[in-house]
Amino acid sequence: MIKVKFYSLFKINLKSSGEEYEFDGAITATELISKLDADYDGYFSHKLLEAGEISPGSIILINGHNVIHLNGLNSIIKDGDIVTLFPPSAGG
Amino acid sequence: MKDYLKRQLGLFSQDERTLISDLNVMIAGAGGLGTNQAIQLQRIGINKIYLYDYDKVEISNLNRQLCYGREDIGRYKVEASVEFLKSFNLETEIVPKQEKITEETELPADIDIIFDALDNFKTRFILEDLAVKNNLALIHAGIEGFFAQLMLILPDKGSSLKDIFAGAQKNDVPDVFSPAVTVTASFQVMEALKYLLGREEALKNEILHIDMINNEIDRIEL
Repeated sequence: MIKVKFYSLFKINLKSSGEEYEFDGAITATELISKLDADYDGYFSHKLLEAGEISPGSIILINGHNVIHLNGLNSIIKDGDIVTLFPPSAGG
Repeated sequence: MKDYLKRQLGLFSQDERTLISDLNVMIAGAGGLGTNQAIQLQRIGINKIYLYDYDKVEISNLNRQLCYGREDIGRYKVEASVEFLKSFNLETEIVPKQEKITEETELPADIDIIFDALDNFKTRFILEDLAVKNNLALIHAGIEGFFAQLMLILPDKGSSLKDIFAGAQKNDVPDVFSPAVTVTASFQVMEALKYLLGREEALKNEILHIDMINNEIDRIEL
């Protein structure tokens, strides 16, 4: 099982704190976003992606590691992983 | 003990009170978070605050930056905030540092912890480098609307801001308002104290996420 957790505006907008998915084998971050899009009417590709890349101001963590430091949208997510999605707050 | 701290006497041991009264901090930014942090740190009776900012007060600051009023518009923030804080005649020394945070910034040698009171990730990453270079802990926070996140960054272990927030920089100006900023800055002061006092409840390798709409606080393990 893969746990996906939503925070901040994602949680408010979607009225959900996350999802738990079972997949046959490992998937990529792109495949997870596609699955989430199917369940949430395209919300996540709109929020997380820009011209096929991770949009500035979006954070995708796999077990606490930013996918930018892994393999970007090709980062592997496997059974037992926790994916955290949130728009970080920048202001002060 | 400072005579005005009687009402917090029971919260801390003698050793903890000594630690607090000897504490010297750097506040990086005299904006929303920084002015709130300075006010709180002065009230709890620490020894010294180095307050860093290079900017001047603008009218858009007045909705949340508690050391300034209309008459301060156009003044340097550190000058106006130090004047404001000193007007209370409390014992914490307030040292104005009217300078921009850069890779070359030389930090005073007696700082115990750095407070992130910046408004963008680009400068936060520079501040983090300075913290590592000077072997200092950094208590991060970012605030936007009704949401905030905090992280305690330690120089020798755990995740860094760059690890977690790479790609977080946006070009838009975030919405910020006073109640949420005050809550966030207060959490930074609380978490810095818990770390400095060696309390086991201090933040570890995690993000403290504050959702002020749903009144939920999550610890996101890293």
